[in-house]
Amino acid sequence: MQLTGRWLSRRGALKILGAASGGLAVSRWLGPNATIARPSHGAQGGQEPAEKAIEPFTGPGPNPYWNSVGPYVTEPQKVPLILLTDRPVQLETPRHYFRTVFTPNEAFFVRWHLEGIPNAVDLKTWKLQIEGNVNKPLALSLPDLMQKFKPVSLAAVNQCSGNSRSRLQPRVPGGQWGNGAMGNAMWTGVRLRELLDMAGVKSGSLMVQFQGLETGVGPAGLGSNLFLKSLDYSSPVLDECVVAYLMNGEPLPMLNGFPVRLVVPGYFSTYWTKCLTWIRVLNAPDENFWVKTAYRVPDTLRGNTTPEDVKAGTVKTVPIGRLPVRSFLISPDGSSKIPAGMPVTLRGIAFSGFGRVNRVEVSDDGGKIWTAAKLGEDHGAYSFRVWQAEWTGKSPGRYSLAVRATDEKGNTQPDEPVWNPGGYLWNRIERQEIVVGNAS
Amino acid sequence: MRKRVGGIFLVVCSLVAAGVVYADLKKGFYTPAKLGSLQQAAPIEQLPDSSYEASAYPAPTADLAPGDGVQDVQIYCNTCHSPRYITMQPPLPAATWEAEVNKMDKTFGAGIPEESKQKIISYLRAHYTAENRKQ
Repeated sequence: MQLTGRWLSRRGALKILGAASGGLAVSRWLGPNATIARPSHGAQGGQEPAEKAIEPFTGPGPNPYWNSVGPYVTEPQKVPLILLTDRPVQLETPRHYFRTVFTPNEAFFVRWHLEGIPNAVDLKTWKLQIEGNVNKPLALSLPDLMQKFKPVSLAAVNQCSGNSRSRLQPRVPGGQWGNGAMGNAMWTGVRLRELLDMAGVKSGSLMVQFQGLETGVGPAGLGSNLFLKSLDYSSPVLDECVVAYLMNGEPLPMLNGFPVRLVVPGYFSTYWTKCLTWIRVLNAPDENFWVKTAYRVPDTLRGNTTPEDVKAGTVKTVPIGRLPVRSFLISPDGSSKIPAGMPVTLRGIAFSGFGRVNRVEVSDDGGKIWTAAKLGEDHGAYSFRVWQAEWTGKSPGRYSLAVRATDEKGNTQPDEPVWNPGGYLWNRIERQEIVVGNAS
Repeated sequence: MRKRVGGIFLVVCSLVAAGVVYADLKKGFYTPAKLGSLQQAAPIEQLPDSSYEASAYPAPTADLAPGDGVQDVQIYCNTCHSPRYITMQPPLPAATWEAEVNKMDKTFGAGIPEESKQKIISYLRAHYTAENRKQ
């Protein structure tokens, strides 16, 4: 007999005994349909408390959940994801999709800035333009990109600058992400450097600007009209960038940037322009809103500051850059009680934009004593690294499981929170309460 | 007749045994769903041409708190984004709401008439701070 039930009060036990002795459920106890639950209670309803919907917002305290609290929504080419906003679209990936090292395309988080998101792209007319301070402007079709250049593949984590923004205290406005504004994929495409070389970058170039197909209804010249991002021409990351037409070996979902998106390994998503269509070499600094004003972090350790310093106007900012080291426990997720003495496997992921993760440790006392976890296959410095550890809750109680990662540069996750007005760079040690119950 | 009595005896014994073994189980409880179900999207028709399409993106209505100024919010805030940008936020201090509306107007060029702008700020302060947020 399949056990479909949950543990029970004495009253419930008597109810079952009563029903059994009354001979009402003979066929269900003994017959071939023994695993089918009795529908009578449900049909009449109300005897047992049902699962409740999560409250639609959190705050002013921190969001206590792993993910954000919006409803699930079905979007084109996607499995149901957690809705932050519908127009423009922002969707968060539920926790359980991080059980694997590569995040499925259909579950990959989505974040757009402007409401004009492409619904269709015609590859007959679409061309990737390389223009600006170059000797020979280019217009390349998708077949050009696929055939004229050697394809390169690399695993890289794409994480939103505001991932986990809902943890900050005090709370800050913006997308109230839980932890699911991140994903790891195997990206395949053309090296940005090859495209720039083919176009011939002229001397005096200062930045490279990226523009996709997204547009807004705001006045020209403002951030509500175009979403433009730039990287310094002198930045070594330009040599690692890939213009990707494959994501985990498949075309990109429209919401993740079909036909091509920029991959900036180790950097936050803001630079990973979706539906990339213009690569513009600039010989002057990019002063548009999304570079000069938005996506900037305090030029301090961890990008940390205080509301008082912001108000005083003393905070110097720099453009956001690399991903600070992070790690997560994915399962168990606290939704089930664990019997005392049962050995379970803790599983999770870790990553850093500064170099490969080479140590993950877990603690079951909230972070006092740490034990090394076993690292999974190394898919490259910019990939998720899965980890696992065996763990047994020896006696009943509430356990605070904590996880922290260290990268090859020696960066270890701190236990202090971070605060800045944009709600960026959160990478505090994560904790999960696990309840261990009596096993007998 | 003897056979039937024997059969009933066996059934009763089995029931008692089952009752003892599973006395601490609970099963078969259902309840009318309180959580919403989610419909699956039907696959869209695709042609082997050069156009690559995704369906229209769903924009379910966000429930704004009723009150003075809600119409101004619906008119002006809805231009660049859906009102869910408001309901998604945590409760925010009144000063933060004012700063947000000014940012939309000045930095993003929303072009909200002054009177409406003040009504929008008052509305957000009246329904979306820690002191008064309900939904």
